[in-house]
Order: sequence, then C-alpha cells, then structure tokens
Amino acid sequence: MAEKNKQAADPSAHEHEHGAGRYVLIWAALLVFTLTTVITGRMDLGGANLPLALIIATVKATLVVLFFMHLWDSEGINRLVFCVALLFVLVLIAGVFGDLLTRMPDALPTGRHAHTLEGGDMPTTPALNPHAE
Amino acid sequence: MSQPADSAALTPPEAPAYQKINYLNVDRGVMSWLKTLDHKRIGIMYFVSVLATFLLGGIFAMIVRLELTTPEPTIIGANAYNRMFTLHGMVMVFLFMIPAIPGVFGNFFIPLMVGAKDVAFPRLNLLSLYVYWTGAVIVLIGVITGGADSGWTFYAPYSTTTPMTLFPVLLGVFILGFSSILTGLNFIVTVHTLRAPGITWMKMPLFVWGIYATSIIQVLATPVIGLTTLLVGIEKVGGFGLFDPGRGGDPVLMQHLFWFYSHPAVYIMVLPAMSVMSEIVAAFARKNIFGYKMIAYSSLGIAFVGFFAWGHHMFVSGQSSFDGGAFAVISMLVGVFTAIKVFNWVGTMYRGAIYVSAPFLYLCGFLFFTVFGGMTGIALATISPDVHWHDTYFVVAHFHFIMVGAVIMAFLAAIHYWFPKMFGKMYHEGWGMVGAAFIVLGFNATFIPQFLLGNAGMPRRYYMYPERFTALNVASTAGSSLLAIGFIIILIYLIYALIHGEVAGPNPWQSKGYEWRTSSPPIKENFEETLEYPEPPHTYQQPGEEVEHVVI
Amino acid sequence: MSSSDAAVHGHGGHDEHASNPHLAHHFDSIATQNHASRLGMWLFLGTEVLLFAGLFLGYAVYRHFYHDTFRFASHTLNLTLGTINTIVLISSSFTVAMAYNMVKKGNNKAAAGLLVFTILCALAFLCIKAFEYQHKFVEGALPGKWFTFEEMKGMPGANMFFTVYFLTTGLHAFHVIVGMAILMWVLKKVIKGQVDPTYYIPVELGGLYWHLVDLVWIFLFPLLYLI
Repeated sequence: MAEKNKQAADPSAHEHEHGAGRYVLIWAALLVFTLTTVITGRMDLGGANLPLALIIATVKATLVVLFFMHLWDSEGINRLVFCVALLFVLVLIAGVFGDLLTRMPDALPTGRHAHTLEGGDMPTTPALNPHAE
Repeated sequence: MSQPADSAALTPPEAPAYQKINYLNVDRGVMSWLKTLDHKRIGIMYFVSVLATFLLGGIFAMIVRLELTTPEPTIIGANAYNRMFTLHGMVMVFLFMIPAIPGVFGNFFIPLMVGAKDVAFPRLNLLSLYVYWTGAVIVLIGVITGGADSGWTFYAPYSTTTPMTLFPVLLGVFILGFSSILTGLNFIVTVHTLRAPGITWMKMPLFVWGIYATSIIQVLATPVIGLTTLLVGIEKVGGFGLFDPGRGGDPVLMQHLFWFYSHPAVYIMVLPAMSVMSEIVAAFARKNIFGYKMIAYSSLGIAFVGFFAWGHHMFVSGQSSFDGGAFAVISMLVGVFTAIKVFNWVGTMYRGAIYVSAPFLYLCGFLFFTVFGGMTGIALATISPDVHWHDTYFVVAHFHFIMVGAVIMAFLAAIHYWFPKMFGKMYHEGWGMVGAAFIVLGFNATFIPQFLLGNAGMPRRYYMYPERFTALNVASTAGSSLLAIGFIIILIYLIYALIHGEVAGPNPWQSKGYEWRTSSPPIKENFEETLEYPEPPHTYQQPGEEVEHVVI
Repeated sequence: MSSSDAAVHGHGGHDEHASNPHLAHHFDSIATQNHASRLGMWLFLGTEVLLFAGLFLGYAVYRHFYHDTFRFASHTLNLTLGTINTIVLISSSFTVAMAYNMVKKGNNKAAAGLLVFTILCALAFLCIKAFEYQHKFVEGALPGKWFTFEEMKGMPGANMFFTVYFLTTGLHAFHVIVGMAILMWVLKKVIKGQVDPTYYIPVELGGLYWHLVDLVWIFLFPLLYLI
C-alpha cells in the first residue's frame, strides 16, 4: 500500500504501466530504419545522400530518446535540458560553417598554397618544426 | 526606532551572538573535513585552495611585471618569459577565476539562500573538490616539469609542435573541467528541486540567479574545452594532424573549438561576480533592488547570448569577414544585458541610505571597472579598430579590467560581506577600507597605462619592447606592487579577525538576505527549524516607506 | 551522523525519512529525490552531447573540404561489421530498456539476465571494433603522420578521414567501456536485490547512460560507413 502511494507521488512512475510491447515495437522500428539507411547509404544519390542519412539517423535517435530514454513521459525540464544541448551543437556547427563557407579560398586547407605531406613526414616549415634543419 | 525589532525579525529569535557549536567545529579531525558532505566545509576548502592558486598566479604575474620594467631582458630570458605569462594565464583562469566564486560562495551560500540543508548531490560536491585538487596538482606538476609556453590559449600549430611538454598542463585543465561541470550540475539541480516552500523562482536571491545562469554555461560549454585539450594533447603526442595544415587540417578550427568554450567561460567568471554585487548593492544602499526581474533575466540573457559571440576573439585569425561581422553584432547584444544590470545597480543606489564600508568601496570600484572594461570590450568587438588593437596591451587591459577590476573586486567584496556569516567574527572596518583603497588605486595604476600602451601599439606576450614604452611599463609595474601590498594587507587583517575579531552576531549588516536568517557561523544543518519566507530577499522598504539609515 | 540531525525533521505531513532508507536527509520526499537524480543525469548527458559535438564538427568540416576523399574512404570500411555493430548496439539498448521494465515489475531475475546480455553486446561491439582497428593498422589506414594507406595515396585529405574515424570511434569505444562498467554496477545491485519496484533509479540512470552511447553510434555509423 505504502509503495503504491510512493509510486503515485513520483510523477514519472506514471509511465502508464506500459508493458514490454512498446519497447519491442521501437526496437523493430529501429531495425527497419537501420536496414533502410544501409541500403540507401551506399547508393549514389548525389547530394541527397547526406540529408537522407541524417534524417534517418535523427528519426532513430528520436525514437531512442523519447521511448527508450523515457523523455516522452518525463518532466519538462529534462526535455528542455536535452533540447538546449542539441541547440548549442547546432550553434557550434553553424558558427564554424559560417566561417568556412565565406572565407577567402586561399585561407582554406584546400586553397592554392595547401601542401599535403606524405605519411610519416614532420611539418617542414622550420618555424613549426623545431627539429628541422 | 524599530531597528532592533527589524533585525530580530530577520534572524531566528534564539540565535546567539556567536554560535558555539557550528559547522566548523562540530566534527573534529582532518578526516572529518576530507570526508565531509557539508557544503559549507567544502566551500571553505575551496576557499583555501583558490587563495593558494591566486597566490601562485600572482607570483607569475609579478615576475612578468618585473621583467617588463626595462625594455631589455631584465630578470629572465625569452623562453622563461613565455612560460611565465602562459602559466599566469592558465593558473589564474583555470585554477582561480573559474572555480572561485561558485566554488567558495556558491557552495557555501546557495543552500542557505534557498532554505535547503545541502546541495542536491553532496557526494558529487565533494568529488568536484577532489577533482579540482587532482587537476590543480597535475597542472602544478606540468609547471615544474617545463610548463607551457604557448600562451594560455595554446593555439595549434604552435602548441602541437613546441618542445615544451605542455601535456601535463593540458591534462590538468581537462580534469579541472570535470570539477566545473560537477559544480554547475549540482547547483542547477539544487535550484530546481531544493527550494524551500515559499521561495519561488521570483523570490530567489539574485546571487542564486547568477550562479544558476553560470551553472548552465559550465554544463554546456566546458565539455568543448575538454575535447579541445584532448585533441591538442593527442595531436602533440600522437601526430594526428587534425589542426595541422601540412596534413590537410585547419588551425582556425582549433580556435573555433577553443573560443566556443572560452568566451562563455568569461561569463562563468563574471556572472557570479555580478550576482554578488546585486546582493551587496541592496544591502549597502538599504534600498529595494531596482528591477529584480530584469537583473534575473539579464543573467540568463548573458548566459545564452554569450554562446553566440566567440568569433570576436578571431577577427584577425583568418576567419571570414562575414562570420566576423556576425560575431561582432552579437557581441554588442551581450553588452545590452550587462548595461541593464549596471543601470539597475545604480538605480538601487540612487537615493539609497549608503553605508560606506569595505564591501561598498569594492562595489564602487566594481561599477567603475565594469563600465570601462565593458565599454572597451564593445570597442574591441568593433572589427576595424580591433585589427589595430588585437594582440596588443589594449586587449590585456580590457580583460584585466573585467577579470581583476570586476571579478576580483566582487570576490573581495564577497569575502568581506560574508566573512561574519562564515566565521562569526567581524573584520576591522578601518583596515578594510585601507585594503580597498590600495586595491582600487593599485588596480588603476596597473592597468590604465596598459590601455595606453596597447593603443600606442605595444604587443602583448613580448618581453622586450621599444624604448618609448618604458615609462608606462614602469608605471604599470609600480601599480602592481600597490595591488600586491593591498592583497597582503587584506590577508593579514582577515587572519587577525579570524583569531581575535569581534563577535559579529547573526546579521551585523542587517541585511534582508535569506542566508542571514541563521546563526553565525551556521550550524551544520543550516537552520534550526524550517523558516517561512514571506518577503523577497532584497526588500528593505514596503511601498510608500522611507529609506532609512542603519547604524552597524 | 551528528546529533543535530534529529532536531530538524519536523516537516508538515508524513515523514518519509523514517520509512524509506533510500531517502537522503536533505530531500523532503523520494519523488523529489528521484526527479533530482534524473535531472542531474540529463544534465550530464547534455555534457556528453556537447563533448561529441566537437568531433562531429570535425567530421563535418573535413567532409566539407574533402568530400570525394571521404566518400571513397567510407567505402573502404567494412560495411558488414559496421552494420552488425549497429544492430548489436540497438539491441543492447532494447535489452537494457527491458531490464528497467523488469525491475519495475519486480522481476529481478529477468532483469539480471537482460543486463548480462546487454553487457555481452557491449563486449561484442568492442571485439568487432578491435578487429576493424587491427585491419586498419595492417592497411596503414591511420591518422596523420601514420597514414600509409596505398589505396588512397595522394588523395587530398585522405589521412584526415582516418584521423576523424579513429578519434570519434575511439572516444565512443571509451564510452562503451565506461558504460559496461556502469552496467556491471547496476547488475550487481539487481542481483543483490538492492533495487525493486519502489526504488529503481540506479537502473534508470545506468540505462540512460547506455542509451546515450547507442545514440552517438546511431549518428556515427551512417556518417562514417555509408555516405
């Protein structure tokens, strides 16, 4: 009796006594999506490969986060924390790509003056290589 | 008039003048301290630790300043100089500034201010202290075994190819990051789950709001510097070449990753300082805080917008001018939130009943230095002048205005304001003001010449300079000795006060802050009984009531 | 603890401290304590997301610069092993979620079995990864100055793919190892009966960490192996 009361007081105990069935369904869905991404990933879809792979991965991740990690029936603050973390990942990527996409081409690693070394070489610029002659 | 009754309402009626059995002496022995779960003891241990690291960072600073007294090599050579300014920066930033106010005053006072018995995860709190000690020791080992000469910003490719070991210092910084994360995590959960009934979000002390916003930054930003130190360390040791142009890498990427943390990091340093000032301004102007909500929200605003501004450290790095422009505009926005706070503090002081004391003097210094430090920050965020000022002493002066002028003033103010609560004794106010005078004057003498030097073109991180910069450098060094004297004076009279100070009583400042509603020093469990919180913590007058002076 | 504990317990309403041994002295109810534990865990997961973010950024940046090289390099990875690893991790996520469900229903025996299976999945993942790494060593498909992969010699940014590959999968593998340790700690609690339908927060938090490990791989797999 006391245990039931305690569980009732705990908001996330209202995980609606959902049974194992929910988990099995999500697992099956994840496997289907995995198969999909494996098949479409190695196909040549030109520019669509990356967005498609990311979308499928995002769907899979959403299923894991919402149902395996119970964010679907968890307190709002937990959801806010996770979403804010994701948001700042996007901020980081956006800020850096804002630079990369608009930089002077010669200042990029693929610029005219880029010089790729063969494996095993030390950097050859004397200022950077204290061991060079 | 109603002075005595007023103070009685603020403290439990049975609180003695000096709480004989308190958190400091209730459990005895070194092990009781090392295994404590009491947030107050953890705060005290952080206090001793950061004072030691501040001393170490200060010694490096004095060596730098002494070297710069003459244009020629003075006391050390070029390599040693590189290591001195690098270690000064690293020790000050990672071992002192980041942990200081949250680790000492956050730990001690957040539970008291929300009416809780401890933070949410006391064992994690103790762990954060141990992790801090571990990281600090590893950094010190790095200092002794050759240290680092890359500047505290350890940009690749220099950091990845320098013969200096660097690795222990980077490892130490990596570990210190975990301490920061654990502290921040603890405070966020504490504020969400342990507020006493009656302390709603909008009745939380402003210090709690500031630490809460700081904790958000600590949790979100610190992992990125952890990764950056890891990547640079791996590249140095393993030759992975992620940032090496010769292997197709982009060194500017390292700077993006570094500053994505390090810009929000400066808000980790300054937000707690500002929130201390919000507490002090209301108490020492004896007036309702002006614009409570705006101050609270502006803390959150700084925390969030501070994440979008990192590229203003990279205007001349090779970053695109488009990105630079975007970062410049966003950086201006952060200034808005800071200005809101400054206006609100001044608004609080306006027509207040000022009680002149050491905390108040530090408040004045803080306001002055925040305004000038902040404005020069806005100036630096304007790209075109920054091309001239970047990597000169103008930048050095700007960030020291904020980091020393604002944060250390606030740290000193916090020590003086909360000393009676933490230790039950009062320091000598006369000496307090002498110390404050040395600090404020010494600070001005040290760093104003540096603005002039930077504007005239003296580069930072140089140990030799053209003859014409000598006078200003000498002035700056002389000023720094005033600062050093000031710190020594403060240390002496505070230690004296610990031993022979007057008994302070539960609420010597007659402050309305919630932390004053327990004995001095507090008992281990914080409160004798569960309190009620009918009034907001910065309310000194009811609507229509006059401001009144108190005699303290 | 000290004697002052006894003084401060009179809250209005029922006093859970006496009846629930899991309730810490500074929380007023187990519900609040559980909420705090979950929030703390989600904050920690947030830090892990930000930690991997930098590496995903590195991937994005160098893929942007060396698009064709990255595409070619991803096809040199063993798709079969990568797919098996993905299925292994997803299934381990399923079993750990099921273990949590079993503990909530009071079936610690089933939960223990499921946790053992999860740990074995983790071990399998690491073994397959080790096998793949070993193959890379043989081929010379290694980061930075160690790169001597004949098949991709001369391609711009070739070594960068493997730098990113080893850094991301290496950090991920480290988290798999930590996750295994956490799961073993949870397993011990389940076997000893220290968790039950009234107190299962350790299983929940341990599971959350494991799911994060799975989440990172869900993104790593297509980015490294497929496209």
